[in-house]
Amino acid sequence: MQKKWTFKITPFRKVLLALVGIAILVALYRLVVGLGPTTNLSDDWPWGLWIGFDLLCGIALAGGGFSTALIVHVLHKDKYLPIARAALLTSLIGYVIALVSLLMDIGRWNNCWRPFFYWGFHSVLFEVFWCISLYTTVQVLEFGDIFLERVKILPLKKILKPALIPLTILGIVLPSLHQSSLGSLYIVTIDRLYPLWWSMLIPFFFVWSAFFLGPAMVTIEGTLASRAYNRKPELPVFQSLTKVTMWMLIVYLIVKIIDLNYRGVAGMAFNGSFESNMFLIEMIAFVIVPIIMYAIPSIRTQLWGVVTASALVVIGVIFNRMNVVFTGMAGSVGTSYFPSIWEWLLTLGMWSALVLVYLFVVENFPILVKEHEEDEALSTGTGMTAGKSVEA
Amino acid sequence: MTNSFTDYQNSDVFLCIGANPAENHPQAMRHMGIAVAKRGAKVIVVDPRFTKTAAKADIHAPLRPGTDIAFLYGIMNYAIENNLYFHDYVVNYTNASYLVSPEYGFTDGVFTGLTEANGKASYDTTNWQYQKDGDNVIKDPSLQDPMCVFQILKRHVSRYDIKTVCNITGTPEDTYRKVCELYCSTGKPNKAGNLLYAMGITQHSYGGQNVRATAMLQLLLGNIGIAGGGVNAQRGESNVQGSTDMGMLYHLYPGYLNSANAAIHPTLKDYLEKETPKTSYWSNRPKFFISMLKAWYGDKATRENDFCYDYLPKHTGKDHSHMAIFQAMSEGKIKGFFAWGQNPAVGGPLASATRQALEKLDWMVAIDLFETETATFWKRPGVNPADINTEVFLLPTAFSYEKEGTVANSSRWIQWRWKAVNPPGQAKSDLWIADALMKAIRKEYQAGGKFTDPIMNMVWDYDMHGHDEPDIMKIAKEMNGYVVADGTVLDSFAKLKDDGTTACGVWIFAGYMFEDPVLKVPGCMRRSREDKSGLGLFPKWSFAWPLNRRIVYNRNSADPSGKPWDPTRMLVSWDGEKWVNNDVPDFGFKDAVTGAQIPPDKSAVNSFIMTTEGQGRLFAPTGMKDGPLPEHYEPLESPVKNVISKTQNNPVAARYKGDFAKIAQTGSPDFPYIATTHRLVEHYQSGAVTRNCPTLAELMPEMFVTISKNLARRIGVVPGDVVSISSARGEIKCKVNVLPIVKPMRVNGKEVEVVGLPWHWGYQGLAPGSTANDLTPFVGDPNTMIPEYKAFLCNVKRA
Amino acid sequence: MSKGVLVDVTRCIGCRSCMVSCKSWNDLPANKSEFTNNWDSPGKINANNWTVVNSNIIEQGEEVKWRFVKKQCMHCLEPACESACFTHSFVKTKEGAVIYKPTELNQDYCVGCRYCMIACPFGVPSFQWDKPLPFVQKCRFCYDRMKEGGLEPACVTACPTGALKFGDRDKLLAEAWQRIDSNPKYIKHVYGDKEYGGTSWLYISDVPFEQLGFRTEAFGKPVSNKSIPSLTWDVLKWTPYIFVGWGAILTALHFYTKRRAEVEHDEENMYEAVNTQENDKEE
Ligand SMILES: Nc1nc2c(c(=O)[nH]1)N[C@H]1C(S)=C(S)[C@@H](COP(=O)(O)OP(=O)(O)OC[C@H]3O[C@@H](n4cnc5c(=O)[nH]c(N)nc54)[C@H](O)[C@@H]3O)O[C@H]1N2
Ligand SMILES: Nc1nc2c(c(=O)[nH]1)N[C@H]1C(S)=C(S)[C@@H](COP(=O)(O)OP(=O)(O)OC[C@H]3O[C@@H](n4cnc5c(=O)[nH]c(N)nc54)[C@H](O)[C@@H]3O)O[C@H]1N2
Ligand code: SF4
Ligand code: SF4
Ligand code: SF4
Ligand code: SF4
Ligand code: SF4
Ligand SMILES: [Mo]
Repeated sequence: MQKKWTFKITPFRKVLLALVGIAILVALYRLVVGLGPTTNLSDDWPWGLWIGFDLLCGIALAGGGFSTALIVHVLHKDKYLPIARAALLTSLIGYVIALVSLLMDIGRWNNCWRPFFYWGFHSVLFEVFWCISLYTTVQVLEFGDIFLERVKILPLKKILKPALIPLTILGIVLPSLHQSSLGSLYIVTIDRLYPLWWSMLIPFFFVWSAFFLGPAMVTIEGTLASRAYNRKPELPVFQSLTKVTMWMLIVYLIVKIIDLNYRGVAGMAFNGSFESNMFLIEMIAFVIVPIIMYAIPSIRTQLWGVVTASALVVIGVIFNRMNVVFTGMAGSVGTSYFPSIWEWLLTLGMWSALVLVYLFVVENFPILVKEHEEDEALSTGTGMTAGKSVEA
Repeated sequence: MTNSFTDYQNSDVFLCIGANPAENHPQAMRHMGIAVAKRGAKVIVVDPRFTKTAAKADIHAPLRPGTDIAFLYGIMNYAIENNLYFHDYVVNYTNASYLVSPEYGFTDGVFTGLTEANGKASYDTTNWQYQKDGDNVIKDPSLQDPMCVFQILKRHVSRYDIKTVCNITGTPEDTYRKVCELYCSTGKPNKAGNLLYAMGITQHSYGGQNVRATAMLQLLLGNIGIAGGGVNAQRGESNVQGSTDMGMLYHLYPGYLNSANAAIHPTLKDYLEKETPKTSYWSNRPKFFISMLKAWYGDKATRENDFCYDYLPKHTGKDHSHMAIFQAMSEGKIKGFFAWGQNPAVGGPLASATRQALEKLDWMVAIDLFETETATFWKRPGVNPADINTEVFLLPTAFSYEKEGTVANSSRWIQWRWKAVNPPGQAKSDLWIADALMKAIRKEYQAGGKFTDPIMNMVWDYDMHGHDEPDIMKIAKEMNGYVVADGTVLDSFAKLKDDGTTACGVWIFAGYMFEDPVLKVPGCMRRSREDKSGLGLFPKWSFAWPLNRRIVYNRNSADPSGKPWDPTRMLVSWDGEKWVNNDVPDFGFKDAVTGAQIPPDKSAVNSFIMTTEGQGRLFAPTGMKDGPLPEHYEPLESPVKNVISKTQNNPVAARYKGDFAKIAQTGSPDFPYIATTHRLVEHYQSGAVTRNCPTLAELMPEMFVTISKNLARRIGVVPGDVVSISSARGEIKCKVNVLPIVKPMRVNGKEVEVVGLPWHWGYQGLAPGSTANDLTPFVGDPNTMIPEYKAFLCNVKRA
Repeated sequence: MSKGVLVDVTRCIGCRSCMVSCKSWNDLPANKSEFTNNWDSPGKINANNWTVVNSNIIEQGEEVKWRFVKKQCMHCLEPACESACFTHSFVKTKEGAVIYKPTELNQDYCVGCRYCMIACPFGVPSFQWDKPLPFVQKCRFCYDRMKEGGLEPACVTACPTGALKFGDRDKLLAEAWQRIDSNPKYIKHVYGDKEYGGTSWLYISDVPFEQLGFRTEAFGKPVSNKSIPSLTWDVLKWTPYIFVGWGAILTALHFYTKRRAEVEHDEENMYEAVNTQENDKEE
């Protein structure tokens, strides 16, 4: 059945729309007058909110997409199918936001096409740039499948179909590369980034945290979506994700400890400095606590438990990225940076846009699993065929 | 200066007192640096502030502003007591052995002869003269006679022992002792001590005596006339040397010829008789003077009419210095004023009163590159232009790179500079303006007037065919001197005549336009780096007056027999038959007529060719208005009583009346701190140019006052706070700069704070700021009339 | 022959002629600035001040030292800025200058991402924040003078004291050590000899470099003598292997697990749009 596009306007959505509108104006203003008048960036802090938060965090948070893809499409853990599309969607929107914020942030935005033709392949940013661009393309194509399904252009969908498997593989390889590269970007900050964060292993920490962030993010998104649409949260799916996350967190923690000790800087975690305290918060509140929560069945099996633990993991990754970008650099930079009102407005607008687009897509495209399918699918693990028969 | 910048490479020890070349003469630092790098020279900096120069020194000796005489005397006393002075030099080349009148005396800070008339003190110098036997001065080469200069000096400086000196100056004793030891090490034949000074020495109510003290120290240590030695004034404005050479001072004609006094020199004969000593090179004065009149009045100047001597304006002996002019102006006695390349509204002492004085003028012409504070005095902040009736003209002039001509630097090098760019807009060179002005004045006088002859008859034919600009080469030739009959350019003032057959505008410049036979350009245009002596003399780089001599008094570099004190620093040398010279000898070494070599004993007794004695003056019977010897007095504003005598101030200091007389009392509780003013490398003088130069304004954007951490704590301010600084004469506001480059000093048991004020700011330009000179006192040195910019009292408070 | 400049801090008098001549030669505009307590306004390198002379007052008890240090791009032997630039806008010329590719056109490679600024260990590249389409700016080692006129850099020419000396880097390094060895006042270190793989500008001094605002230590350890590009390359060089390897593993896993699952689910009918259900419900 071909249906009309619909989008209900609620007061909340009005606010979001307004924010997006403001952000568009801010963006235009920024493009015309440049970065100086609009941001609090300086030669001391060349990268601020847009790169530090929107790009780094946006892409990390979008990590849900590729880790779920890995689980579902490569490992074929079909029981996670119900969350696959939602994860892909958030991820795609996250990347678009990252690209937009990048476009906003680069000084010579009229030159944004240059890197495609002029290759500075010694640069980590080169890798990041190409991976993000390619991966966004891949995601668009992946999403194309869904889009075509919705708009019912089946011949095209047929063409796309065989490409989906290599696309999916690419869609995991590329983000693995650039999630790690986002970390590698900071290798250059040797002697300036606080040693609790600076490490030659920083690419590993970035990619690994992006991986374990995925399930946590899916849990949060799923919960939010179910709230929004008045559906039952996919608790069983969430619960089964906890084990993966927990083990990944444990590995993360162990590697971190080994790395700090190997570099002889573990002591700095306890030297009482601002940095050390931030680091301890990061590790205790956002790594160790979630591990414990995931490990205790009575917490893990409760919706609040999973959601809280996941939230901690998500916040933890953001916290980590902020520590790398801001906390860890502040000491050596010497001056402070706080985003300007324009920077905040643009960021707010972009994240509002994310929510709006997500809502729109979810409401108009087949993203969420039909309610009655869930239980069966999850109870059997091979229930998909059964589901199909039901539908039939 | 006696030596040159390029000669600094020969110095073993530098005593940099009251000068801050790192900020004000950066190129001097290059040459000092060469001596440090090449021969391990040592540097002593004596300055109240720890300056950028002090930062490069081996010893920084802080001293309280205004106490240099005590400081220098302490070193002299140390040299004499420890027998470190250069005995042979002192005996042979100074007046140490001369006996002074037995009537000469000195009690409690006052020399014999102080008299008072109309409330004005002055000295009668009769009793300062030498004992004579007929025409001959009586001498005691053993230096034992109690009335010989050496013994007088010894007695005089013996009062300045290290303890007393440090009590006065506030210099830590151990630092001071190190200075004495190190600098006195140059009292040996094979060591050269270079004394450089500038405004920290001169800008005091006894600035002239400060300079005397530097010269005396150098004489005692045998440091004058030798390579690497000298008394080296780091001079000011890029061409201030040229402007004094040119007689820009009110009491001088070009070439340091005293200007005629109406009462004393009514006729040429009077002038020549009274101004020409029998001895010294000044005995040639008539040749210089008459050649000058010839240059000025040309054909009209004849023997019959005394070479137009009557045309010369003569003074009455009254004070027409900067301060006196502004006092007169404030009293309405001056109707019109040319501010020609000066900005007294910022640079003059008590500038606030200076600006008010300008209001009394009928008209004023500012000839400048920019609309300076002086040019805009009538619309300055806080006044209503409608209340001011002065008519003001502003003539835009070309900057030094926009015109051609010479600049004479501190090394006395007259260097030709070519025009680099055209002046902008309507701006014209000063020469063009002067030329046009003279022509306009003559036009007015054609209709007649009072005594038009001097104006109508003056030589004034500098037009260059087909050019808007006057022909500067014609003027240069006139200054250089030429043979009247055929116009031949002279190579030396030795060729000047007193019979009207030669003309010469500035006798000391003679030869600067004479063509170098090898390089085929006039001397001042030479740019050869040839330096055969290896001593940095560079005889073929431009032209050094006099006669391309690079180090003056160079006879003193060799012993009486003509053997150089130090062969490695040979300037002139008698090889038994003839003189072998690196520099142009500053003495008669060759008979002008026969060409025969003159043996060393002749010149040995006349090694200081410009003094009547032919000797260096440790004691000055003439020339100084405030004593034959320097004596420590307190600046007119001081926090303490004079320790060394009951006489608090220089009894004959120049003082002025009315608004200009305001002085804080000694130890005033209202103004407890000592202020001194200084310069910054980024700005030039009143800042007229540099505060209009965006790059420089960016480098040093705001007026500030530097205070010690101690004082900052006491008045509760942190760097960048706005403070108010007040003196007995006014108040200014600026940001506060807290740096350990100034520190409190212990003076006679009392802790005194010194604050530093740069004086480059005014209300005009890209980087305006308040003017330090609104606070400075209107008093000065009686000889030079230089204002006491460097030591006064102030208060600093949070604004 | 790779050029360099030897900066002898003991000879610098803080006259700042170098700053002025840099501006003149490069036609850089002046900014509005403010009083600084150290008399070194504007205090830091920026897009219109490619070089600054910093003033350092060092107090040790009663003793005060005042040292002036000219700062500008160090022209690293292996420049972090060049390697960080993903459009390869910066190059290290054979003469030693690290500059935007030296044609106007190529300068336009730059997208203004400012990663070079993050990458530079000396905090040198500066951005034209006030321009709508800004460039990264920094000292160019007066490459134009070097190239066309065989001239030394403008700042070196202006320096009155010989604090700056231009020449072949190798020779300057030798001279630096010769000066250090012949005068005990010097610190026994040439800054720029090894730091971050070495730089074309070299510094010697009589006070410890860390008191002059140089980083000799970071977090209690000497700063890296390895160049930043080499560090990044240590990681980056794995990219192709990871790409191929990880891709292969994933493909293998994909087929392996798929065969094991042996099932094909019907994704198409499993999902639906939210408003479809709502509509369904309402209908
Ligand atoms: N950049 C720059 N260069 C200049 C100028 C300029 O304005 N800017 N002006 C030029 C001119 S016209 C001149 S005259 C020269 C002046 O050159 P300098 O005389 O070197 O200049 P100042 O800074 O006025 O004074 C020199 C030093 O005297 C110190 N001082 C103050 N009081 C005393 C004292 O009682 N005794 C001693 N021993 N020292 C004292 C001050 O702290 C200061 O450091 O510079 C010339 N060069
Ligand atoms: N407190 C304090 N006051 C001082 C001093 C101090 O140390 N402390 N120092 C004193 C000293 S040493 C001096 S020399 C005086 C200087 O005092 P001034 O000579 O009054 O000050 P400058 O700023 O040098 O003024 C020169 C003017 O000439 C203009 N000018 C520049 N080039 C040319 C040109 O080619 N032709 C013409 N016609 N004009 C030109 C400039 O724009 C400027 O306005 O200040 C004195 N004032
Ligand atoms: S006259 Fe010119 S070159 Fe000489 S020190 Fe002054 S500013 Fe420098
Ligand atoms: S100092 Fe910085 S900007 Fe200069 S070459 Fe090295 S990395 Fe590049
Ligand atoms: S700002 Fe320009 S030069 Fe710097 S890394 Fe980015 S593209 Fe390259
Ligand atoms: S080398 Fe050239 S661009 Fe670099 S600081 Fe010196 S003058 Fe400026
Ligand atoms: S020009 Fe030379 S002496 Fe002057 S500040 Fe620059 S480096 Fe130092
Ligand atoms: Mo001066």
